[in-house]
Amino acid sequence: MTTSTMAEAPSVTQVGMGQAAVAQNPKRLSAVLGSCVGVTLFHPRLQLGALSHVVLPESHGKVGAGAKFADSAVPHMLALLEKHGAFPTGMVAKIMGGSCMFGNGGPLQIGEANIKAVTLALEAAGIRIVGRDLGGSCGRRIHFDAATGMVTVESAGLPPRTI
Amino acid sequence: MTSLECPEKQRLDILRELLASATHDASAAMCRWTDGLITLSLDEGREIPLEDVTAELNLGDELLTMIVLSMESDIGGEMILTFDELNGRQLAASLLGRPVGNDPRWSELEKSALTETGNILGCAYVNAITRLIDHELVPSAPYFIQDFGASVLQQALAAQALTSDQVLICRTGFHKQGAELNWHVLFVPTAALRQSMENALHR
Repeated sequence: MTTSTMAEAPSVTQVGMGQAAVAQNPKRLSAVLGSCVGVTLFHPRLQLGALSHVVLPESHGKVGAGAKFADSAVPHMLALLEKHGAFPTGMVAKIMGGSCMFGNGGPLQIGEANIKAVTLALEAAGIRIVGRDLGGSCGRRIHFDAATGMVTVESAGLPPRTI
Repeated sequence: MTSLECPEKQRLDILRELLASATHDASAAMCRWTDGLITLSLDEGREIPLEDVTAELNLGDELLTMIVLSMESDIGGEMILTFDELNGRQLAASLLGRPVGNDPRWSELEKSALTETGNILGCAYVNAITRLIDHELVPSAPYFIQDFGASVLQQALAAQALTSDQVLICRTGFHKQGAELNWHVLFVPTAALRQSMENALHR
């Protein structure tokens, strides 16, 4: 799974399904979420953060799974941030997405499973979750600002909100 | 030669052959539904790395009007009919025999016209695939969504993403008297349905 680090020319980097990216002030990261869950980790002192676009809950031990799975995404993000000098102490997380886009959800209630798995993975890593915008049946467009750690969430028919 | 021994390109060619046949049936149904105005053609059937799907299909972060049908069978899959706002409105108006309205909200009648279009199209497509693979696929009732295209596609792709980092997506285009329209059908089979389609063409 591809991982991009440190956004370059454009000030906003789109983070695709299964990807993770790191950004430092003044860069921003963005993703469009449905049943996927977006996880941000932010180091306030360094104004450095990461966004993962998690697709599925469990990697079942798959090597090199990167940000595709909840249980591999959190350690993957921590490793990326560590390369940029950021360690977990003082780091905070926000989680967004995990919608059920198809009425009753069909055979895979994947949004709900993703939320649970991401929450467990963050707890296991000892990272405090300080913001949530989860569930429901609408998609979300999110923008993470590496200067502040704030995440702007947009959904169809609703005013943007910031967490 | 079994499907597992086929080179990837050959496997995709085989799937495209089957999907083109289903698209032909769906096109005939659509042509009848719109009094000969609208036809379909298979634009592409290809595998895309999961992380590139949004960019490759140019779904970006635009809000789209969509009709979604799920296959309620053991081998599953999803069909998503997508329109931009203008094209969706124009189709609804044309089916209802009215001019395009100014109200930004979709009326129940407009939603119903598009949902019925999805139903006719989806059933024709699914019936054709059912015939070709000799395995019954039952489409769900279609439902109307206005949301980000990428958000809806993500859930459809989850079943394929369980087993692969590459996903198969088939995109069908629409034409009105020869001119291309900004409508598409995205067909996302599960791995099991894909395997059934490949096996069917080897029988």
